[in-house]
Amino acid sequence: METLGFLMDGFGVALAPENLIFALLGAFLGTLIGALPGLGPANGVAILIPLAFTLGLRADTSLIMLTSVYAGAMYGGRISSILLNIPGDEPAMMTCLDGYPMAQKGKAAEALAISAIASFIGSLIATIGLILLAPILADFALTFGPAEYFALFLLAFATLGGITGKNPVKTVLAACLGLMIATVGIDNTGVQRYTFGVLELYEGVDFIIVIVGLFAISELLFFIEERAGKGHKAIKVNGLKLSMKDILEILPTSLRGSVMGFIAGVLPGAGASLGSFISYTLEKKILGSKGRFGTGDPRGVAAPEAGNNGASSGALVPMLTLGVPGSGTTAVLLALLISQNITPGPLMFTQHADIVWGVIAALLIGNLLLLFLNIPLVGLFVKLLSVPPMYLLPIVTMVAFVGIYSISNTTFDLYFMVAFGFLGYVLRKLEIPLVPVILGLLLGPEMEKNLRHAMDISDGDWTVLWSSGLAIGLWAFAIVGLVLPYIVGPILRKRMQVKTGVPETPGD
Amino acid sequence: MSYFNDRIFGVLMIVLAVAYGWAASQFPVPFGGTEVVGPETFPHLLAVVLAISSLYLVVRPDPDNAWPWSRTGIELIIALVVLALYAMSLEPLGFIVSTALAVGTLCWRMGARPVKAYVTGLVAGTVVFLIFNFALDLSLPLGLLSLLEVG
Repeated sequence: METLGFLMDGFGVALAPENLIFALLGAFLGTLIGALPGLGPANGVAILIPLAFTLGLRADTSLIMLTSVYAGAMYGGRISSILLNIPGDEPAMMTCLDGYPMAQKGKAAEALAISAIASFIGSLIATIGLILLAPILADFALTFGPAEYFALFLLAFATLGGITGKNPVKTVLAACLGLMIATVGIDNTGVQRYTFGVLELYEGVDFIIVIVGLFAISELLFFIEERAGKGHKAIKVNGLKLSMKDILEILPTSLRGSVMGFIAGVLPGAGASLGSFISYTLEKKILGSKGRFGTGDPRGVAAPEAGNNGASSGALVPMLTLGVPGSGTTAVLLALLISQNITPGPLMFTQHADIVWGVIAALLIGNLLLLFLNIPLVGLFVKLLSVPPMYLLPIVTMVAFVGIYSISNTTFDLYFMVAFGFLGYVLRKLEIPLVPVILGLLLGPEMEKNLRHAMDISDGDWTVLWSSGLAIGLWAFAIVGLVLPYIVGPILRKRMQVKTGVPETPGD
Repeated sequence: MSYFNDRIFGVLMIVLAVAYGWAASQFPVPFGGTEVVGPETFPHLLAVVLAISSLYLVVRPDPDNAWPWSRTGIELIIALVVLALYAMSLEPLGFIVSTALAVGTLCWRMGARPVKAYVTGLVAGTVVFLIFNFALDLSLPLGLLSLLEVG
């Protein structure tokens, strides 16, 4: 049991006092970010990266803090689903179905507690899955050559829109834009590309600036357009009456939901939204007439929450082992790794074993912290829902400005950020997804490097890119990923929409 | 239903693809001679993929989302101008003053009452400045207020 030894070392890292404090801080901030209106998990993690960077936190500490934020945001997202019938982010959509009816019946506190417990179980199971699966996948990934990596990156882009995605061509277009931004700067043969003689562009465009601009600034512009500045009325939450029997009742549901969610998270193209959808639908099928789904059944709250959290931990598997994230938030976590000079991928498990296992252990600890944080502090987080966005979003914008300014102390970066904010707004209006842009920006240099290596080895023969069985398999998957949305996409989207009655939200 | 957005964007992206691809052809040959995959190969690939997907967008566009013309559109432009001015004034005016003005204006334009809006901006700016300069030891520009600094 080599893994167990590594995990023990990981606990050693995660339990170091400094790391523990930042994990707690991250869990708290994450729940805050999830609960506050207009701040999705990807957005929240993005504005915290420059701060972690300027504080000069060590790589393990900052990664532990931001994974806790990530886990926390998933917990926070459910609060507005249950109390306001407004999903904080897309995966929280299914929680509205039974969570809101429970709240209407005066059982808001129970719904919140059940969703916290189900979230905990989901994350726990998925983290165990991660511990078992990640080393195997990392070992397997060591056999990848440059051609396989090139194909793998293509697969990541092709499936990023997800099989529920609307228009795969727009995903491709967005990925191209991101990859093009990545080519700006001096390349590794020393040639200047697209710098136009501007000194600030020689080192390329800093992806943190692009991420914060695309996510945080465009969010502000959207809120202004929708005139959604007023905020919601504060909601009363009843006293909690939860017995052991209630918890036992949701246990089988949570376990099934967790496993489904984890699988959806690991697979490319599925993601957390589909994870919670599958868990909910499956549970409804299994329980049949015994369930009162849609009218406030606690199991209807537990299933999607377990699925959602299972999927979000599952999504870390491809990110950590292959360096290929499958969602917006994991893409932002990848950005953090790259900014700390850690090359993600299979080698990370050998070269930075302490960090990888520290983060995995931190996930386990973070989830325990979140469970204890969430049940007593739920009243506080509920109050946050009534913070009006007209104060909140300008302050978030200020935090973004401070973060970006403090990286290099130049105002040039700030103009850039605002410009990307406007670009993000236009792209979102055109329903062009932003996540592929970010992913293109992050993976661009690696993708080009692998292309070069592959071609150097083959001496200019392009067929090397699809010469091994593995590479052909990856190409085939990528093509399926692009074609499938045309076939099953409309059907699946329709079913999800009919069920929830909530139109899709832009971004992630 | 109109389909202008995607068509116009598609055409713009085709122009970008051509310009981007052409610029790549102008790259100087790297020191050490031509390689199989030079600095221009990857950009050329991207230009081709971008051109094809943009062409698809022109031919098969999605229905438009409405743009906010009229008053909301003006609010958006105000917001962008405020953000640009914020970036511009951060160093000369200093962090606290520029934040109070920028955050205040944004809150006000989003619907808060002016006094409350600017007080929010001032408090937020001061708190963040104090945290950064004293607790975290990272200096933000003081600007105008540096006159008040003793010594």
